[in-house]
Amino acid sequence: MMTFTAQAADPIKLGVLEDQSGDFALATIGKVHGIQLAADEINKAGGIAGRPLELVIYDTQSDNTRFQEFMRRVLQKDKVDAVFAGFSSASREAYRPIVDQLNGFAFYNNQYEGGVCDAHMIVTGAVPEQQFSTLIPWMMEKFGKKVYTIAADYNFGQISAEWVRNIVKQNGGEMVGEEFIPLGVSQFASTIQNIQKAKPDILITLLVGTAQSSYYEQAAAANLHIPMGSSVNVGQAYEHKRFKPPSLANMYVTTNWIEEVDDQKSKDFVAKWHKMFPNEPYINQEAENSYLAVYLYKEMVERAKGSTKRDDLRKIVDMGDVCFDAPEGKVCIDPKSQHMSHTIYLAKVNDDHSISFPKVWEDIKPYWLGEAGCDLTKKNPNAQYTPSNPPPKG
Amino acid sequence: MGRRSFFLRLASRLEGPQTLGRGWRFWVGAAVVLALASAYPLVTDSYTVGNTVYFFNWVFMALGLCVIWGYGGALSFGQTAFFGIAGYAYGVITLNWGADYGLTLWATLAAVALSAIVAAVLGYFLFFGRISGVFLGIVTLAVTLVLERFMAQTAGPEWHIGAARLNGFNGMNGMPNLTVPWPGDNDPLVLAPDLPLYYFVLALLVIIYLALRILVNSSFGNVLVAIRENSERATMLGYDVRKYQLAAFVIGSSLAGLSGVLYTTWGQYITPSSMGITAAALPIVWVAVGGRSDLTATLLGTILLIGGFQALTVYGSQYALVVMGLLLVVTVLLAPEGLILALAYLPQRVFRRGARDPA
Amino acid sequence: MFDAIVGFLYQFGDASAFLVLCASGLAIIFGMMGVINLAHGEFIMAGAYMTVTVAKLGAPLPLAIVCGALFAGLIGILLERFVIRHLYGRPLDTIVATWGISLIASQGTLILLGPSLADISTPLGSVQIGSLSYSVYRFVLMATAAAILAGLYLLFNFTRFGVLARATIQVPHMAEALGVNTRFIYSLTFGIGAALAGATGGLYAPTMTLVPTMGAQFITEAFVTVVTGGGDVFVGTAPAGVILGFIRAAMTTWEGQLAGQIGLLIAVIIVIRVLPRGISGLILRERT
Repeated sequence: MMTFTAQAADPIKLGVLEDQSGDFALATIGKVHGIQLAADEINKAGGIAGRPLELVIYDTQSDNTRFQEFMRRVLQKDKVDAVFAGFSSASREAYRPIVDQLNGFAFYNNQYEGGVCDAHMIVTGAVPEQQFSTLIPWMMEKFGKKVYTIAADYNFGQISAEWVRNIVKQNGGEMVGEEFIPLGVSQFASTIQNIQKAKPDILITLLVGTAQSSYYEQAAAANLHIPMGSSVNVGQAYEHKRFKPPSLANMYVTTNWIEEVDDQKSKDFVAKWHKMFPNEPYINQEAENSYLAVYLYKEMVERAKGSTKRDDLRKIVDMGDVCFDAPEGKVCIDPKSQHMSHTIYLAKVNDDHSISFPKVWEDIKPYWLGEAGCDLTKKNPNAQYTPSNPPPKG
Repeated sequence: MGRRSFFLRLASRLEGPQTLGRGWRFWVGAAVVLALASAYPLVTDSYTVGNTVYFFNWVFMALGLCVIWGYGGALSFGQTAFFGIAGYAYGVITLNWGADYGLTLWATLAAVALSAIVAAVLGYFLFFGRISGVFLGIVTLAVTLVLERFMAQTAGPEWHIGAARLNGFNGMNGMPNLTVPWPGDNDPLVLAPDLPLYYFVLALLVIIYLALRILVNSSFGNVLVAIRENSERATMLGYDVRKYQLAAFVIGSSLAGLSGVLYTTWGQYITPSSMGITAAALPIVWVAVGGRSDLTATLLGTILLIGGFQALTVYGSQYALVVMGLLLVVTVLLAPEGLILALAYLPQRVFRRGARDPA
Repeated sequence: MFDAIVGFLYQFGDASAFLVLCASGLAIIFGMMGVINLAHGEFIMAGAYMTVTVAKLGAPLPLAIVCGALFAGLIGILLERFVIRHLYGRPLDTIVATWGISLIASQGTLILLGPSLADISTPLGSVQIGSLSYSVYRFVLMATAAAILAGLYLLFNFTRFGVLARATIQVPHMAEALGVNTRFIYSLTFGIGAALAGATGGLYAPTMTLVPTMGAQFITEAFVTVVTGGGDVFVGTAPAGVILGFIRAAMTTWEGQLAGQIGLLIAVIIVIRVLPRGISGLILRERT
């Protein structure tokens, strides 16, 4: 447990529950650093409404039970004002009942499969409609209409694949195959053969976890060079830095930010990050989300005249204009779903694994939940919905 | 020859050759510990109470493994499988039919009964097939992993039992806490992780602990230990080894199921990761380090270990796992019978008395 | 049709090679010495990490793999000397001890070397057979698996060391009485088992992600293969690897990766139920 204090006035406490060891640490260590960087900057500039920001950090060891234990601890014992928590959707679903029961306020700063309609949560991660409604039509126009999906065989992979299927059909394409791969599988001989037999124009890869990312190396070794699209690889676990070129060449990823973004604002952000954390292997999209989330919280509290009570903060959010000028661009919280709009960068992995950005979409809103019937300004169902399990009408 | 003598007979079985601790000194000590445990939550905060209940939830699974492995000699990696089965069963029942009329309590019984039935079937398959030793461990591990892999991919909407979606890897949440119906028109008592749940689980723990003591000190327990020591000899003495092992397996697995239900109601959440390989190894580590051949040692050792590991994680940040690993290695080398038992025998060893308690 | 057959044979060989290579080191440490080594995955990780480090320094891959194996073997010998030696005859205690070692090793690697290591690429390119292309390196892996099995057989049955090792493990007192330095033999045998695990790590390193927890991807398969095979390395682990590899490839081809995984585990359950002493139990019993 580490704390981070600044001045002497009554501090605002922020709980941080992230995996700093175990399977997920690769993608999540940066998140803690993002929060620390933001807290340091805010404290140097006078804190939030004059009060210093204090971080209470726990290592959840990539273990859902630790999320349950520490969420309880951070809300009941440490009595923090807000919590930034979770990487995997399972961990979020593990702690959500506890946040609801203890009336807490949590930020989930990770991309995920979408659908959480819960007044106790602010979600800054990207959701499928933001990433796929941009990626798929662009790729189909460039490469062809036959799409093959390989996805991790669990909620995130299955729901993302459902989104891909729907968007492909809407744009007149054809799914020539879909394959679901259990988490932890690292040998892909059969998958590679299936893809070759189906001869798709585009391969959508929704692989999660370090085991599954071995696919790229094995596919390249088998001389499989179909253009690939993904919402989750590269931006989260920086495969392009860890695997030798050209295994990820010709891959297109829609991410809300990665450290290769080359406008001046991003470059300044990366520079000051490296000043504080010189050994950071990679600053991924989740790290940027975590950084900007601290500032969003600051904005909410200051506009609520210094109150950290959740209901006061939600009244501010309901006004619909809580925004922040993040490294990725301007982002705003949508009051109906309490999710965030994003700038979506299309990242192309080149043959030498450098990144170029053929296209950028600004202000892509998380429209699906609101359209489907989730309206947190009116009621709080505390649930997670999916396209095939939407909110009940009326 | 009436009920009085039956209870006296039962009570006499609370002590015996298979359990540590006898005599009035032990029982007074136990009463003191119980009194402290009962009074403690009244003076600490809500978090500590809820957290302590969380520790207690796991003890039932450890006690169950103690019966199967410590007393019966059969290493089962399957405790977490039954944990998961019962947890999901509770979730499915209560999500479909709600929490009124004490249904949560019936759901608990039903979930544990389901674990017992599955354990009986699996146990029949294992013990009547004469599988033993490390093969037993691998088969139970394989069963656990099959369940985990299967459940992890049930994310789609087609995977539901009534109104309860299995929800795959993300896990099932939203099931109600245990509720105890109150007489008259009063609202039922909701056992959220606070004082009422604490006393409920503590009471369960005491009852089960005493019941297990009676069980292992009875002739059943004696035969079980005989089977553990030398199963051929037990067979030759006329006991059907398979039946005893099966009974121990069913009892132990039902206790794991009880742990599963309590965990699910505590956190209102159950997930396939509870049945993964790391989760499956944990009960074995607790029981082995605590002292597998004795109930009291397992009870105390498990609570100490879970609490200790949590404290290490809170205060030790990255080094927590390294220290845990070191602790395990050192324990096995220096105190192979388990930490609690080593402590119990320490006075004897230090002062070089002859053994008063059999091992 | 031709493609389908070749494709299936390739998957079968690939799956079997994976199982045999995972299991070979464990077959010696567990099958022969009775130590349930839950740190097996970490030996594999150590071999993989050392192989990649040496290869990046410019050494050719085979040499790097040998270095990885030697590194893992050395760690194995040290571990045996300080920890495992005290635990012979107590297989269930080895579970706790090796689990602890596994925690120390994986977390320690995370702390010291960070969450991942940059990879090296798979050598030897690809080859086109029929209308599908295959990675040549995977054929090399299949050949290596067979070669390792053959080498182990020769080592343990036709060399002086092999005879001494088997004697020491089966009847230690007799071997000591005959003047064998049993402590040294135990260390060396454990070291060979660890080195084989390291070699597996090195062989698969170019095809996989290198993270401190990578051992977890091998350990379940290793254990189920060794136990299904029973105690003997050649009459047990080898046929187990082939049979389970066949089932896995068949189920995967038929119904996908999930079916392959679950099929493998169910096959293990059934085989052990039918042959409670594993495959080698059946074969060895038939011999006598």
